[in-house]
Amino acid sequence: MAKVAVRLNEITREFFDGKQIRMVLKKTNLDIYTREFTVIAGPSGSGKTTLLTIIGLILTPTSGRIMIDDKDVAHRSEDELAAMRMKKFGFVFQNADLITALSVAQNVLVPTAIQGAPVSAESKRAMEEILAQFGLASYAYAMPQQLSAGQRQRVAIARAMINAPILLLCDEPTSALDIESSTTVLDTLKRLSQDENRGVVMVTHDPRVFPYADRMIKLEDGEVIDDSKSGGEEKHEE
Amino acid sequence: MRRLVAIKILLHDGATTAGAVLGVVAIIFLVGQQLTVFFGLLNFMSAIVDHSGADAWIVSKKTDNINAAGSLPIRYADRIMGLHEVEWAEPVLSVGGLVKRKDGRFQPVQVIGLARPRLAGGPWRFSEGSIGALLDYEGLTVDQLDLRVFGNPEKDDILEVSERRVRIAGITKNIRGFGGTLVFTNLNKAREISRVPADRCSNILIRFKPETEIHQGVLKLKKMLPQAEVILTESLSAQTRLYYLKNTGIGSSFGFSTIIGILVGIVIIMLTMYTNILNRQKDFAVLRALGARKRDIAIVVFYQALFIALIGIFIGFLLLALFLSGTRDSRLPSYMFSWVPPAHGFFTIVLCLLGSLLAMRKATRIQPASAFR
Repeated sequence: MAKVAVRLNEITREFFDGKQIRMVLKKTNLDIYTREFTVIAGPSGSGKTTLLTIIGLILTPTSGRIMIDDKDVAHRSEDELAAMRMKKFGFVFQNADLITALSVAQNVLVPTAIQGAPVSAESKRAMEEILAQFGLASYAYAMPQQLSAGQRQRVAIARAMINAPILLLCDEPTSALDIESSTTVLDTLKRLSQDENRGVVMVTHDPRVFPYADRMIKLEDGEVIDDSKSGGEEKHEE
Repeated sequence: MRRLVAIKILLHDGATTAGAVLGVVAIIFLVGQQLTVFFGLLNFMSAIVDHSGADAWIVSKKTDNINAAGSLPIRYADRIMGLHEVEWAEPVLSVGGLVKRKDGRFQPVQVIGLARPRLAGGPWRFSEGSIGALLDYEGLTVDQLDLRVFGNPEKDDILEVSERRVRIAGITKNIRGFGGTLVFTNLNKAREISRVPADRCSNILIRFKPETEIHQGVLKLKKMLPQAEVILTESLSAQTRLYYLKNTGIGSSFGFSTIIGILVGIVIIMLTMYTNILNRQKDFAVLRALGARKRDIAIVVFYQALFIALIGIFIGFLLLALFLSGTRDSRLPSYMFSWVPPAHGFFTIVLCLLGSLLAMRKATRIQPASAFR
């Protein structure tokens, strides 16, 4: 059964562009669920990435509450938010954005130990399992430059998965991929979104993604103009 | 993981890392080289005092450095020898002379005349012969570094010093004074060269008996010789060095060069590390998004600075050791106290960390949201 992973309550976000304050996200109420592939779509400048980064505790909202485990975390300290990001979320960026100086295995392990804890044997086992699951076991000691764009994006998904997050937050992960790689990545994300303890949220322009979506949130001018589910009825646990 | 990330990024960005390491090498080598020459000169200033083997010196009143010694009655030495605390008291004559070279030119020298048979205050390192050679009335030592300026004479060659005949009885090894060329002979020959009366000397060296408390002995001598200055060997050495540092501009000249070396190094470190961070902004933003706190990023930059410092220190000291080894037997003054390399290394690490502050500031200000642009 799907659960609410993140609840946005009356969230707004303003930016100061040097001349005036611009409202990039108008009052928004959303529940983001596990076991759901949520796609956030909309034209450039509509506030998609702002919404994604607020869900991922990267940007703090100007007003409103972000509820995780029934607690408002919107205005916690930077360090607390960093710790929550590490434990609760996995991020997949547009161009994979792997650390080019680190091997595939080291990239995947970064989120487990970047706050100074030693890399545990358990984390190493998890890394090996995830790489094997994504067909990347033989590339563990390869450098990112030696991989194709599709493989790099799969490594980025593996990195996002290493801490068993409740949400995978993806920022246009297929925009730089060819059709074949794109399909592989989307199939992988779709499969990962079927777990009742995990959901996937993806920001995209790419219409190839839409058929994969369980839920489509459309934004325009910082406002949710449509929030619809596709397919059969889904049971949500409140 | 933070250390791994730091080191891997440095190794991956070889060119910028090499630039920063070059900054550290510049600090270690340039400053170290300046220090070795400076300490070498300090040694030259007080070499005669430091190697005299005496506990204390009797000098003229108001003597501020050993190379500007006045004149003392030689009978002071006999009076001092009457004290039961004193093991020996030996007069020394320090005068100027002109050596006539084989080609007819003249070379100014500082002539040190030593009392036979003890020859206290005499040369302490030889490449040919020994100090006993100065027992010979005509015997004189020259240094191997000065052979060229004398026209490359050999041992047992005859020379003229201020129109007096001397024989090269020994060749000393790397013994130089601050004023340049030092030659040693016995007291009688030095008097003959300088025409100083037989009842005068420049200084008197004192060695106390082992059971004597040196400060008590010095106090007793001060009471006995109120017209002269009684000074401990180490105090005279320090006083001589201080005189030259204050009055010749050597201190400020070397200080300035050292500061320039440090500034050049720190600017190189600062700019290259800053460039490295600029080139890696996206990586740091991604790390922040993945959960790194500002202090984790600061620690990564700290490890990078430390790693750069350690590599640079290793290479810098290697070059410095080669420099020291290459100049050991040259006329270039060079000396390094054993405490200097660790202090210099520690100081350089601190400088390197200071140099990384700008990069650290930039890195910790990178926002995780910029990973999404």
